[in-house]
Amino acid sequence: MDNSRNIIYSKVRLSRNWSEYVFPSRLTDEQAKEMVGRLCGGLKDIDGQLNLRYDLVDLSEIGELGKRLLKERRVINRVILKKQAPMSMYLSDDEDVSLVFNGADHIRIQVTKPGFHLGEAWKDASQLDDFVNARFPYAFDPKYGYLTSYPTNVGTGMKAAAIVHLPSLALGQKFPSLITDMGRFGVSIRGLYGEGRENYGAFFEISNQKTMGLTEQEIVDLVGRVAAQLNDQENQVRERTNQSHRLLREDEIYKSYGILRYGRRISMKEAMSYLSQLLAGCTDELIRFREPCDIYQLILGIQTAGLQSRSKRPLDKDELDVARAEYLREQLPELAE
Amino acid sequence: MLCEVCKIREANVQYTEVVNGVRTEHHFCSQCARDLDFRPYSAIFDGEFPFAEFLSALLGGETPAQKQDKYQQIVCPTCGMTYGEFVKNSCFGCADCYSVFDVLIHDNIKQIQGSESHKGKKPLYQNAGSADGEAAAGETAVGEAADGGSASVEEQIAALDRQLKDALRREEYETAARCRDRIRALKGGTQQNG
Repeated sequence: MDNSRNIIYSKVRLSRNWSEYVFPSRLTDEQAKEMVGRLCGGLKDIDGQLNLRYDLVDLSEIGELGKRLLKERRVINRVILKKQAPMSMYLSDDEDVSLVFNGADHIRIQVTKPGFHLGEAWKDASQLDDFVNARFPYAFDPKYGYLTSYPTNVGTGMKAAAIVHLPSLALGQKFPSLITDMGRFGVSIRGLYGEGRENYGAFFEISNQKTMGLTEQEIVDLVGRVAAQLNDQENQVRERTNQSHRLLREDEIYKSYGILRYGRRISMKEAMSYLSQLLAGCTDELIRFREPCDIYQLILGIQTAGLQSRSKRPLDKDELDVARAEYLREQLPELAE
Repeated sequence: MLCEVCKIREANVQYTEVVNGVRTEHHFCSQCARDLDFRPYSAIFDGEFPFAEFLSALLGGETPAQKQDKYQQIVCPTCGMTYGEFVKNSCFGCADCYSVFDVLIHDNIKQIQGSESHKGKKPLYQNAGSADGEAAAGETAVGEAADGGSASVEEQIAALDRQLKDALRREEYETAARCRDRIRALKGGTQQNG
């Protein structure tokens, strides 16, 4: 069995600025447009980099829903979602690799990999970084490293993140204090889904707090160590419960499947909690489908913008719950005999 | 519990007010809470944690007010951002801001990052232009360049700005102060003339 099975995906982001222009916050719209145009033009031979195909997306033209969809699919962040200025992006056709121009910084390179592959994500991001840098000189200072708009990104300009699923650990009473203690190791951990203080589905993002004073490899190792540690602890707790309370675990998992497969109205909170159960059940091999099913893709699919874009019209809260149930009915495969 | 203002939505903000020792509890929904004035906490209801403001407090808020006033008007000659603006938004305007505000932000960056210098990858290509500029400015004595009769006031200010930036980088505060005073004098002059 894969021992890093609770690590859903790994992500590396690099922030870079072109030395020819002032940072995005001081650019006028005309300057921004010119710069974005030059960046897009200069990198138009990007196809084939990392053996992928890329599409050019004009972020100022895809509208609010289009941007929210990209945010839900973790391609762009909140800064880019909210920003109103000329912005463009090269996006690989599997959506795992993106280069955003004129977000918080001139160039934002992001590489995502399913599973626990932080080192490879860094290697790929660095390769793209060299590809860009061969055409555009960077703002760099020997002391401060890569110069970024925010002092919290300066240095390597790198954020390495691992997304982990911790349904059993998160139930523990000590979990909140564990999250607080993570700061001491130089990493931060935050819930990925939820409202207010309530977490839905027990998905957490672990990432480096600091970007300067550590090499990129050291950052990858640090985040990787913490993610692996949490993954192991989750495994231990789950194995223990699977032995001591197997019937109870199976009951929870199969009931979750039943509701997701046959429900007619499912709220976000319900769907997240049952999908979380089902995902744990699949990884522990307590439930089997007739055909393979990527539960994490379903989690991306049931979010608001995803459902709205599928139905091609705005939905109110009740309509969303119905659309969510319909989507899950369509997507969830039958159980194996 | 329903929100006590609109009485429609579920209340999810609990606000405890203590006035003269009397404690009252209020329950609002986040939409109504946004419209109420909670002073510094209002930003919480705008949907985003006011990270920039929080950072600002760390970056500039702790230093004594006098020191603040003295540095508020230091301007980055490249993008025109003042130190005051930087402290307010915690966001640099351009690459040169790092060297212009270097002495002012050095300790803060060290505090945020836990380190004072970059380790790791270096770019293959960098802007070569800036290195020449630095060497030239370093050799000129303060104010001399600006005294040349042929240079326009704008050019003099720009030259002084460069010297100010360099003096700050070398931590020569007296030189920097003289540059600043001359810039102020020149700027005052242009305003009167105009």
